[in-house]
Amino acid sequence: MQEAYLEGLSLFEDLTYEEKAELGALLEPASFGIGEDILEEDGLEGYLYVLTSGAVEVYKEVFPGRRQLLATIEAPAVVGEMGLVTRCPAVATVTAKEPVEAQRLPYEAFLKKLDAGSEAAYKVVYEIGRTLAERMARTDERVASVVAQLEDTEPDRRDFDVFRDKLIREWSF
Amino acid sequence: MDGIEPRNVGFFEFLSDEEQAELAEVAERVVFEPGEVLIEEGGEPASLFVLTSGQVEVNKRVPGSGKRLLAVLEATDGRAVVGERGLLDDSEASATVRAKGRVEAVKVPRERFRAMIHEGRPAAYKLAYRIARILAERLARLDEEVVGVTREIERRGETDLDAFRDKLVTEWTI
Repeated sequence: MQEAYLEGLSLFEDLTYEEKAELGALLEPASFGIGEDILEEDGLEGYLYVLTSGAVEVYKEVFPGRRQLLATIEAPAVVGEMGLVTRCPAVATVTAKEPVEAQRLPYEAFLKKLDAGSEAAYKVVYEIGRTLAERMARTDERVASVVAQLEDTEPDRRDFDVFRDKLIREWSF
Repeated sequence: MDGIEPRNVGFFEFLSDEEQAELAEVAERVVFEPGEVLIEEGGEPASLFVLTSGQVEVNKRVPGSGKRLLAVLEATDGRAVVGERGLLDDSEASATVRAKGRVEAVKVPRERFRAMIHEGRPAAYKLAYRIARILAERLARLDEEVVGVTREIERRGETDLDAFRDKLVTEWTI
């Protein structure tokens, strides 16, 4: 029954019915009112959320005290997937824009599945890896574009070199 | 098998003996002479290379200013792996990786890795998990660098930097 929540989501599309049932059994219902935070930037999160209805906004505090809207995401969708593969703090805040109904997957229960060699869990991690790889490719291109502009504008400005070097430090190829 | 012993390559130590043996079936030991290319920018998605000796240079073409050196990586560095993104992603390689001197490496060919995933082989899934963690951590650090640069641009209040600030912010990838 709960596996039905995983239907139609790319993160789970390669799972068999039995594998969806295996992970579906870990899901817990969750609800959020308008304006309530589902994930908090810099917080150590404990759940992946499968949004089943409603919409959320994604914010990042790019400037101190000022939240920048990065995206609006409508259900069905998944948020918090990065925390499944790394225990880094959340990189952005996800806030309910409308009343949100969700099913949450506890990281700890999922990691136990991984430790036990669950193919269902590994398939999900593989898909998260593919998503991250695509995201990294887009980020690389964005940074390349900014670096090119910096170099075009005033190639002799040494303070631009600092910006450029900071941006390319974490390149992935 | 080509005589590969992944257990002798530190990067693969997260795999069990059995999984290392599985990976050994598809991994290849490769040698590059100075100047030879491991990964070509704009070419096919890369295979994974774990450097076991030598140094490589990473270059990227930057419009308007030609080729730019991004990094020099050594086999003994913490980051002696290249091509990890290509193993999971379908987009073309975003930089050229070239041997600076003689380089020895263990190659995990992309197509053979994908075949292992298709067959549900645990070694391949565990390698994908490791790469996903590397990418997630690197992406998080890159996000922080972008935040830092954006804040610095804002702090300076120079109008000629506004365009860069706006581009960095508006094209954020989540």
